[in-house]
Amino acid sequence: MEEIATKTLIRDDEVFLRMNLAERIQHILLVVSFSLLVVTGLPLMFYELRIFKSLFGFEKAFFYRGILHRAAAVILIVDIIWHTGYAVLTRRGRDNFKEMIPRLRDGLDAVALFGYNVGLSHWLYRKGILRKFFDRHPFWKFENPPEYGRYNFVEKLEYLSVAWGSFVMILSGFFMWNVDLSLKIFPLWVHDIFVIVHGYEAMLAFLAIIIWHMYNVHLNPEVFPMSKIWLNGRITGHELKTLHPLEYRKILAERQKAFEAGGAGPDPVSSS
Amino acid sequence: MKLRGPFLRLALLAALAVLWAASPALAGQSDDDCLTCHGDSGLKTDQGRSLFVDSTRFTASIHGSAGISCADCHTDLKKFTDFPHAAKLMPVDCASCHDEAAAAIRESIHGMPHSGAEPIIVHCKDCHGTHDILPAKDAQSHTSPMNIPDTCLSCHLERVKTTLGPGFAGRYKESVHFRALSKTGLSFSATCLSCHSGHSVRTVGDPQSKVSRRNIIRTCGTCHTGIERDYLEGVHGKDYVKGSLDVPVCTDCHNEHDIQSPEDLGSGVYATKVAAVCSRCHDNELLARQYGLLTSRLKTFSASYHGTASKFGEVKVANCSSCHGHHGIRPSSDPLSSINPANMASTCGTCHPGAGENFSKGRIHVISEKRENRWAYTVKIVYMVVIVGLISVFLAFIAADLYRRMRIRWKR
Repeated sequence: MEEIATKTLIRDDEVFLRMNLAERIQHILLVVSFSLLVVTGLPLMFYELRIFKSLFGFEKAFFYRGILHRAAAVILIVDIIWHTGYAVLTRRGRDNFKEMIPRLRDGLDAVALFGYNVGLSHWLYRKGILRKFFDRHPFWKFENPPEYGRYNFVEKLEYLSVAWGSFVMILSGFFMWNVDLSLKIFPLWVHDIFVIVHGYEAMLAFLAIIIWHMYNVHLNPEVFPMSKIWLNGRITGHELKTLHPLEYRKILAERQKAFEAGGAGPDPVSSS
Repeated sequence: MKLRGPFLRLALLAALAVLWAASPALAGQSDDDCLTCHGDSGLKTDQGRSLFVDSTRFTASIHGSAGISCADCHTDLKKFTDFPHAAKLMPVDCASCHDEAAAAIRESIHGMPHSGAEPIIVHCKDCHGTHDILPAKDAQSHTSPMNIPDTCLSCHLERVKTTLGPGFAGRYKESVHFRALSKTGLSFSATCLSCHSGHSVRTVGDPQSKVSRRNIIRTCGTCHTGIERDYLEGVHGKDYVKGSLDVPVCTDCHNEHDIQSPEDLGSGVYATKVAAVCSRCHDNELLARQYGLLTSRLKTFSASYHGTASKFGEVKVANCSSCHGHHGIRPSSDPLSSINPANMASTCGTCHPGAGENFSKGRIHVISEKRENRWAYTVKIVYMVVIVGLISVFLAFIAADLYRRMRIRWKR
């Protein structure tokens, strides 16, 4: 009886809005500004490489590089201000932000996912090795993949990285932009640290995006060639159930409550 | 002069006609006698070499206008009574009058017997011409400043092989000196003669040469007086005076023949190329040890924003000379030095208005962050660890994820 009710409460092909228009635009602005910043900034870390020199081969190229880099920085700053305002002032923003806060569980999820993927504990358990230990601590058996809420540890890590990275880059970048002001306040050796931090943080951000983010949203066989959520913002009931089971169950519980109270069908508002 | 040519020609022709008609037996050779035959533009030797003497140009020449006759130079003519005279005359000996110039030539590279397979013998006429010699002041002269480059290059472009390649002298035509001469028409711009002198041309290795290391400063300083003074006051100049041959002289930074304006992209001292020029010596281990110079100048400069931007072709950023000066570079210990701690604020202030004391609280050429900027070093190490650590974790997660997917596929 309950099974039937569950199935009708969230259909597999029901569409949920994972990213609304504002969130999608925020993300696109981030993509645009980040790419521009990388292209116009990172070559400076590798000034010895010929390829980057040919990129800035034409006259005044370096001047335009600087202009573009700062323009992209302004886009990024505006985007961050918008996003901060959005996360504070709107209900959806606040809810999302609460879901984004890292918890102990995210760390355990990461360990569990790794353990599950490697499958070593499971293999040991089946062979009867350390069986007692595994029986006492079933977590270390990694029998099933971890179940995520609205945001899994991967997404939380990326979000926090963007927050931290932007803070560092904007702060150091501001003083590099206004070098005269910087040297009025700080001694030269502090300004040198700004320059170093700006370069290394950029490297970190670039590598993290190219390796971690690109794998998770593009190359991962589950979404290959690309997850389209960032374009249409949509996720189906089925995807919700497999990728974000905790959120799925939360929505289900809410609907069950509403169903028991008023006997109404699936909420038509959430599906669009 | 303009009138004189045609007038003289007429007069000569008239005189010629009178003489020819009136006194065929008149003894001695006047110029007119010579021109009887040599005035014929078709007169040639059996080998086809023209024996024509353009009387107009001769009379206009410095010798012609001074009343010097054919026989004054072709002295063996005086011995002849029968004409046409012997097929070959002795070469003209300019030294009989121009003994000083001839002596200078004998001492010069042009007077030296050439040791090559094809000995090149340089005669006065090769530069000065023959019957049409004009004073160097005359714009038409082969040796006037305007024409000197082509006169010298007639041999030095291809025929003369120097250790620096056949086109070496020809690169003068790319120089700012030639530009001034040909485009701007400044006759006092430097030509070959200005640096190599006229008759006493010597090889660069000859200490007496005007372009030898020992003399080049003086030579360039003839025109660039202020620069010579600055140079001699600087750290390079002071060692130069003491006799050091290792210090850079004008040509080491500015090149020899193809000297260009520092604003010109082709110049060796163009804003983005200065660092490479200076580091030729200042990153040279041998020189550094000998003179106690600090090395890694280029590396430390390149690592800075100034150096990086410069490598990408930005000319607005500081290069070596922006801070250290150029001709009159002084050591930082010198109170007049632009990089003396007391002057740093004003030197940096040229580009960074309002630069204060903070500019000197730190190092510009940071060789070792470990020693010179401990915090920067720590920050770098932390970042390295974080980057390597985090990326390794990412890769491990990706590998584990792919491993699981493979396992599932294998099972099927």
